[in-house]
Amino acid sequence: MPERVATLSPIRLSVNGREYQLELDHRTTLLDALRENLDLTGSKKGCDHGQCGACTVMLDGRRANACLIFAVAAQTHDITTIEGVGAAGNLHPLQQAFIDHDGLQCGYCTPGQICSAVAMLAEVEAGWPSAVTPDVAAGPVDLDESETRERMSGNLCRCGAYVNIVAAIQDVVG
Amino acid sequence: MSDIATTHATKGTIGENASRPDGGPKVRGEFAFSGDLWADGMLWGRTLRSPHPAARIIAIDIAAALRIPGVHAVVTAADLPASVNYGLEWRDQPVFATDVVRYVGEPVAAVAADHPEAARQACEAIDVQYEPQVPLLDPAEAAAAPPIHPDGNVFRQLTIRTGDPSARGPIVVEGAYEVGMQDQAFMGPEAGLAIPADDGGIDLIVSTQWLHNDRLQVAECLGLAPEKVRLSLGGVGGAFGAREDVSLQIHACLLAQRTARPIKIVYSREESFLGHVHRHPARIWMRHSAEADGRLVSFEARILLDGGAYRSSSYHVVANATCFSAGPYKVENALAEGIGVRTNNPPCGAMRGFGAVQVCFAHEAQMDKLAEACGVDPVEIRLRNALATGDRLLTGQVIEGTLPVARVIREAAALPLPPSPEIADPMTRPGGAGRTADAAHVRRGIGFAVGFKNLMYAEGYMDGSAARCRLSDGLATVTCAAAEVGQGFVTLAQQIARTVLGVEDVLLAPADTSIGSAGSSSASRQTWMSGGAVEKACQAVRAALLQHVADRHGIDPAQLTITDGRVTSTDARDSIDLAVADAAPGVVFEEEVEYHHRITHPLDDDGQGDAHVSLVCAAHRAVVDVDPDLGLIRVVQVATAQDVGRALNPLQVLGQIEGGIAQGLGLATMEELTLRNGRILNPSFTDYLIPTALDMPEVLATLVEEPEPGAPFGAKGVGEPPTISSTPAIVAALRAATGKALNRVPVRPQDIALGDGE
Amino acid sequence: MKEFGYERPAHPTDALAMIAGVAGARFLGGGTNLVDLMKLGVETPAVLIDVTALPYDFVTDDADGGLRVGSGTRNSDLAAHLAVRRRYPALAQAVLAGASGQLRNMATVGGNLLQRTRCPYFQDVTKPCNKRVPDSGCPARDGEHHNLAILGGSDLCIATNPSDMAVALAAFDAVVFVEEPAGPRAVPIADFYRLPADEPQRETTLEPGALITAVALPALPWAANSRYRKARERASYSFAIGSVAVALDVADGMVRDVRIALGAVAPIPWRAYRAEQSLRGQPATEVAFREAADAELEWAQPLRDNRYKVPLVRNLMVRTLIELVQAS
Repeated sequence: MPERVATLSPIRLSVNGREYQLELDHRTTLLDALRENLDLTGSKKGCDHGQCGACTVMLDGRRANACLIFAVAAQTHDITTIEGVGAAGNLHPLQQAFIDHDGLQCGYCTPGQICSAVAMLAEVEAGWPSAVTPDVAAGPVDLDESETRERMSGNLCRCGAYVNIVAAIQDVVG
Repeated sequence: MSDIATTHATKGTIGENASRPDGGPKVRGEFAFSGDLWADGMLWGRTLRSPHPAARIIAIDIAAALRIPGVHAVVTAADLPASVNYGLEWRDQPVFATDVVRYVGEPVAAVAADHPEAARQACEAIDVQYEPQVPLLDPAEAAAAPPIHPDGNVFRQLTIRTGDPSARGPIVVEGAYEVGMQDQAFMGPEAGLAIPADDGGIDLIVSTQWLHNDRLQVAECLGLAPEKVRLSLGGVGGAFGAREDVSLQIHACLLAQRTARPIKIVYSREESFLGHVHRHPARIWMRHSAEADGRLVSFEARILLDGGAYRSSSYHVVANATCFSAGPYKVENALAEGIGVRTNNPPCGAMRGFGAVQVCFAHEAQMDKLAEACGVDPVEIRLRNALATGDRLLTGQVIEGTLPVARVIREAAALPLPPSPEIADPMTRPGGAGRTADAAHVRRGIGFAVGFKNLMYAEGYMDGSAARCRLSDGLATVTCAAAEVGQGFVTLAQQIARTVLGVEDVLLAPADTSIGSAGSSSASRQTWMSGGAVEKACQAVRAALLQHVADRHGIDPAQLTITDGRVTSTDARDSIDLAVADAAPGVVFEEEVEYHHRITHPLDDDGQGDAHVSLVCAAHRAVVDVDPDLGLIRVVQVATAQDVGRALNPLQVLGQIEGGIAQGLGLATMEELTLRNGRILNPSFTDYLIPTALDMPEVLATLVEEPEPGAPFGAKGVGEPPTISSTPAIVAALRAATGKALNRVPVRPQDIALGDGE
Repeated sequence: MKEFGYERPAHPTDALAMIAGVAGARFLGGGTNLVDLMKLGVETPAVLIDVTALPYDFVTDDADGGLRVGSGTRNSDLAAHLAVRRRYPALAQAVLAGASGQLRNMATVGGNLLQRTRCPYFQDVTKPCNKRVPDSGCPARDGEHHNLAILGGSDLCIATNPSDMAVALAAFDAVVFVEEPAGPRAVPIADFYRLPADEPQRETTLEPGALITAVALPALPWAANSRYRKARERASYSFAIGSVAVALDVADGMVRDVRIALGAVAPIPWRAYRAEQSLRGQPATEVAFREAADAELEWAQPLRDNRYKVPLVRNLMVRTLIELVQAS
């Protein structure tokens, strides 16, 4: 018999520029670690299966579903949550645009929408195509309305605030 | 400050696009939803649910569960100190199943443990011996089947008879229609935190639509006086009807009472699908007859709603479905029979549109058939039959308020159409992301539909709402127990207070049970009911303030008014000009009021009576592109005109319209809980699809403002109409594009093409 | 969820030693599928060996003019890579058609190849499933199967492979490089997946403990004229109900060569060899395309609720072929 494997480990998480030392059961997802251990409840649990996007955070600037990553596997990344978007007292332009365009109703999906949008704009900047890009072989993409909608389709909003969410993002793109 | 106030009107008043007061916290992730709550010493609660649609419980053994480390309590029906049943309108639902289970997902026991995983293991360790029974799954068999509940299998049978239902016009159309089971699928699953209090009571923070009704049911089951059960609203991640019934409230409070520890329960997504009511699936038959010119002569309908295992709001969903079954059309002779039955399927209850959604799908399909049979344009035939103020409903009630049916039809029809598919952006073709369809294969269809329903509760229900207003040195504080579920009531409450009091600083006290009930955030009623209560409370404070100023200056308060944030006199000789903030230094004005709407009456044996307070209507025109060879649908545009009475916050009204259309699109093209042997096969967001941003069409909306007499500010509720006629408009457009009958929603790819052997 | 150990080796030899050393050990890539299945109780690994530190995050040119993609490459990086977009556009399109931006950022190429089926009975541990629990039965045949297989199923299993990426890889004759206990092996994708037959629990031909290291896309100049089309029940962020990856080499109105693979219709990414064969050397006409599609689908065995897939994938094939003729 092999020796009993350790099922919890000391874990170091870098979140919003702060280092956290924790000891966590390996089963703890990044989402649960943020919410239950670090008291960062801005990332929401909508489905816990990567099917809604409410838990969207950024790992090294790239958006990801925090519910499908074990915290133990997230130690190598710089993690940004909604609490790390925008400066203290100063909203990120996307946050302000969501308010101005009324891009939310119940607000449950909103932190995920905003984290997703912040990272999505970086993806466009990097020239990544999407499923609606007419020619994937071509160069830079223009973030028109269809591109915005497709690229944000991983963030469900049951209140159906999509029209205003898209308007808010388009407003920031200019 | 006073200098500014003399030159600028109060900002954020009625009619403006005031921003949500909770917008800032929500975009920063700081807004506390009920699932975000935490308390010292908190335990996690979890519910064990039935895997069977129908079974006898032979025995429940909790010993093994109690032995699991970290488990603090396991409770079953035997642990309930008082009432063992609960229910929104009728207490027919066991808090925990006792001798039988009646649906898959019915709670059987609950546990409290110091970790969610221990709670999960404890649920698995509870040994429930079931003796499965043959379930009653077909609603068509329910009425005649042996009762599966002591209260019988029929929740309500309502017949509405008016004129001579045997009268016949020369043109007759009939059809049978089906609506699948839709789910509210709000994003924030059910969650609550119950904290035992020193006085033996319980404090419960929970996401709900109706704090006081929850409180009553919790108090009854825990054997506590209602005032010992104090509820406050946790942040609500959407509701749409699904939070009107109690879910975890009683379980959490019972566990808190048992363990003397705070109990948090959060449903998983799967449990959320099992743990709340759904929209009633419907089977509907209708027959219309008309004169050759399309004017209706007679209307017949039979409506069968599957209420599932417990009553919830089925009684009133049957009423709405039957009362509004003919749509917003004049018809003298009618026989409409609605029945809601009990089965071993999951319980159904309130969802946005409440009974009107199902029948609208049917009556609008019928109106299109009639238009075709008469050779009349679909818009024209609706105009020819449109109800108006002064007309009678099927129930004999004379429409006394505004109901601009013809106007919403004309305004919706007049909105510009999108470019043709040949010249439209290829990105907007069906298949969306896949760019799967080619322009040459796309068929465009246009559909039109009109719907209506009542605002607020009906049939003599004594509805009311309480509000308190406090004004002190220009700062207003409004207290109301109305549940903010995303609809924007909090914005409106501030706008109302600003408008009445002329102050910009309006604080909203937390919604809780320290004040009287505001009723439910449902039935498009809070703008009217709690808006009315807030207005009335603010008016009372305003009167007190003006009385105070008048007393100080020795004048008649009737001469005083508040304009642009200043108290001034209508009599120029008084030379009174005070900022509201300075009008009564140090004086606190506080008033608490109750607001009620006018009395309504029950329906008689023929379904006749003045049952409704007010009515609201909307028209939708949908443009769809379909690629029939690939079964692909793209809703290109939805144009709507909606009767809003008066738009108190146009931006938020548009948000409600767009959101309602998104849910209507979902029902039209993708959303259905699939049942097999009473079990939901798709309780996940991968398998129960709701629209994404890419599915959302362009929305053009005209707000038809005809102020409703008797309504605060003339405003009508706006949340429900967008979900009612958007679905039939989209399906009508799909019929136009494909030539298929499409008598069932949701319409799936295989329904519009791709048939057998094709 | 069952407790598990966690390792994150930096070297492939360590990874292989670890997986050989512990019963029930599993490799963890992006986790988008495995973590989900662990939450559902479908997967219960004793140890997760996180392979994301291994040197497999690359896309490089092969000497023969093809491309080599490391198994740790994230789906989004694969789809964003200019060489992939220009030389194998159907692969970029297939990846972009799957999941969401968030999931593609996490999912790896290796993990995507091993993605498990979305059959509702496989996902539900309270139900029998021959794939999850051999010999437990299959309720799908008489139950919910509207998105299950019309080709290649067996009496024991009609699950569909859910991957979009693998459909394009099948069309391009990709080669999967693996490290197995017996040593390295290059597995043509045609030999990588297994049909269920009487062992639906075995989905690939990999040995236990195998580690996918890379996928090679052989040189295929005319793959630039390729296309992935996906039909689904909502516009985005949903699994296919039918999909097709097609590459076409057409000259003087004649089909010189063609590759066709179908998705969401079979337990494996389904290479439409019969259709391809019937097309080579034929005129590139709609009639020929229809005959080719029929030649493939003649073998379809649809069930009560998935008959629609037959005309759906037929039309997808024909349409995509016509589009590629027009593009060339």
